[in-house]
Amino acid sequence: MNRWLKFFLMILIGLALGMVYGWMVSPVEYLDTTPSTLRYDYRTDYVLMIAEIFDSSQDANQAVRQLAQLSSDPPVEIVIQSLAYGSQIGYASEDLVLIQNLATSLQIWQPDPGGLTP
Amino acid sequence: MTQEIRRIREDGNLPRKGYWYLLTGLVIGILFGLIISWVIAPVKYVDTVPSSLRSDFKNEFRSQIASAYYSTNNLARAKARLDLLGDPDPIQALTYQAQNLLDIGDPTNTAFLLAFLTSALKQNLGLSLEVPSPGTVPENTSLAPDNTNTASPTRITLTTTSGTPSKLPSNINTPTLRPSNTPSPTPGVPFILKSNKIVCDSPLRSLLLQVEVTNSANQPIPGTEILISWSGDEDRFFTGLKPEISDGYADYLMTPDVVYSIQLVKGGMVVSNLTAPSCSIEGGITNWGSINLVFQQP
Repeated sequence: MNRWLKFFLMILIGLALGMVYGWMVSPVEYLDTTPSTLRYDYRTDYVLMIAEIFDSSQDANQAVRQLAQLSSDPPVEIVIQSLAYGSQIGYASEDLVLIQNLATSLQIWQPDPGGLTP
Repeated sequence: MTQEIRRIREDGNLPRKGYWYLLTGLVIGILFGLIISWVIAPVKYVDTVPSSLRSDFKNEFRSQIASAYYSTNNLARAKARLDLLGDPDPIQALTYQAQNLLDIGDPTNTAFLLAFLTSALKQNLGLSLEVPSPGTVPENTSLAPDNTNTASPTRITLTTTSGTPSKLPSNINTPTLRPSNTPSPTPGVPFILKSNKIVCDSPLRSLLLQVEVTNSANQPIPGTEILISWSGDEDRFFTGLKPEISDGYADYLMTPDVVYSIQLVKGGMVVSNLTAPSCSIEGGITNWGSINLVFQQP
């Protein structure tokens, strides 16, 4: 067999070995993830938590600040997406109401002129 | 001999440089493979779990759980959410976070919420979930999806202890906790100072201003906010953050020769002129004691 052919064949074998090692044996590990990478059901529960807190605090600024950790999308969109997902997977009606209330409040929410304050 | 080798090489029967070129190709290939798999197209974890969150986000998550619990009083849900974080000891993690917050002045005012949840968890530590009798809950009744990497939520059984609940849609038969017996102060009744002792043989550290708060039934009350002031400055701390001592216990590290006043924020008398007691002086070194105050509702 031609030497160059063998050479490139070994490169391909090495490439395969390297990718198997990098993707399967020792893939990149994300230990310090952010809420934005959470799986959708966890994100939805996170939104539910925010809705539960909002239900008693009625602090829209706080809710917006917390929602911002999940996504850069507009807060109301995050909540509406979670509402849809919660409905899809069978959230309790009272939980859906909480999320719905948060969505409704955020639809009329206006940010503070001075920015979000903790 | 040399001519013979040269002749064989020229015939192609013996590589001029052995088989190193094969190894070189393999190494190059592996390097490219690693570059592709680690740099160019690494495995992407877009569907992560809360236990993989960075520590500060875990703290935020715990605060959210505590806040949500304070709003809903749903302890089963709070416990399930805490389990998602994968802390070996959730109570300890909550306590540690609350103490850290107090150390930095509690800028987010969540130490109380964390202490509140800690106390509730501790109170319910011995309680088991009331699992509905067979037949009322079908097999694999949903409490929450499991922890697999599937996009669609799966189910876990109520009776198993393994598996981490990941989310809590509660349209299902959520386990009902037995009523909590968390001691609480009687509304409106101010606390009185039941005792004020100097402690010189404290097994704990010296220079502590120890506060114990109990209700009229002498049960310790966690989550009681205490205001301490000195020389125009003030700080706040809470009972319940050292449950290993008592749910109604809190302490504050005093500075020698500083005069403190404290008051329970919920109401009660102001105790002033508190200063670290000197228990003994040995070789010119002062052995500082602690002060133990017990507040109780009449």
